[in-house]
Amino acid sequence: MRIWWIGSVVLAAVLGGIPSYAQSQEDVPRTVESRPDFTGIYTAPATVNGTGPRGNLIFNAPNMAPVKPGAESLLYVPRTGNTRVDEPRAMCLPAGFPSGMLYILPIQFIQNPNYLVIIPELQHAARIIPTDGRPHREGIEPSYYGDSVGQWEGDTLVIETINFKRWILDDYHYTDPTKSRWHSDALKTTERLHRVGNTLEYRITIDDPKIFERPWSQDFELTLRPDWEQLGLIEYTCEAYNRCAGGDCSEDGPP
Amino acid sequence: MPHKRFFLFLLGLGLVLGGRVAWAHHSALAEFDPSQPVKVTGTLESVVWANPHVWFFVDVTEADGTVTSWGFSTSPPGSLMRRGITKEVMRLGAVVNVEGARARDGSNNSSTRSLTFEDGTAVLAPPEEGQEGQ
Repeated sequence: MRIWWIGSVVLAAVLGGIPSYAQSQEDVPRTVESRPDFTGIYTAPATVNGTGPRGNLIFNAPNMAPVKPGAESLLYVPRTGNTRVDEPRAMCLPAGFPSGMLYILPIQFIQNPNYLVIIPELQHAARIIPTDGRPHREGIEPSYYGDSVGQWEGDTLVIETINFKRWILDDYHYTDPTKSRWHSDALKTTERLHRVGNTLEYRITIDDPKIFERPWSQDFELTLRPDWEQLGLIEYTCEAYNRCAGGDCSEDGPP
Repeated sequence: MPHKRFFLFLLGLGLVLGGRVAWAHHSALAEFDPSQPVKVTGTLESVVWANPHVWFFVDVTEADGTVTSWGFSTSPPGSLMRRGITKEVMRLGAVVNVEGARARDGSNNSSTRSLTFEDGTAVLAPPEEGQEGQ
């Protein structure tokens, strides 16, 4: 009897370290369809192993693939002095994706069997992503946020987005005010979302064949904040009082 | 060349201050000039609790008795509320000390680096990088 007892303890100790990954999978709340449930309000994405100033909020150069010969001018646009070009969001123009995802404000996820809705507090621009296996829409004009569809690969939701209009890529200009960083209209992004406990692991792959030699990825983490549920997201009406936009603080200044 | 040096100085300053402008929906360097620090003491006259940034206005009595109104830009309402700063915290009529960087157009508008009430209560201190709303 005693040997059995000791054996059980040893077995439990040996196995204890093994199933930690599986256990973390089981810990994740699930929908009635047994999908991981991403519902909730999260912190802004934080770069995993980010480097440099504002490394949490922009794409880091070491992650990027080489730029194709002659495509440097597509990626970097020299500052023009016109804020609508240099920094469109400052004039309340759309943040777009992925730029609107990489910002310091919280992001809310709402999930049902057919859709994942991602709502950044910034501009409240909801991304409504079908997850029921339908293909991309056809005949839609290229847009700031592109056209997204999602599909499950096990417990990972994979979101593919295409049909972008050319737009600003991220907040690179915060670190180098001489230029801004843009993507082309050939951009295709692939996001991989995987929940572990209260952490949402988030990898975005940038495939922009007009600019880069090959696709490249950057990893982020979002942290679930149940304590933000009661307050919820706060309205973000950029046009309400965009005083000093573009550096013009006069009474009749923009917008 | 002096122009280039000045730019490099601004760039360096921007890198140093990177964390301090993290709350803006724009790069604050485009609108406010870190080389023109603002430091005033006055009466909190009004608050515009609006997006994309909350603004508050402070009446400052100059040495000659004239009163100058200064406008200060700070975080959006949501960011402030998640830090426990509601509109009610901004008590109108209170004497406040405010520091920031002046608007590039030379007007009496400024970013907000800190807002401290007369009793020493610091209401607005810039969040560190990545700590918005914590």
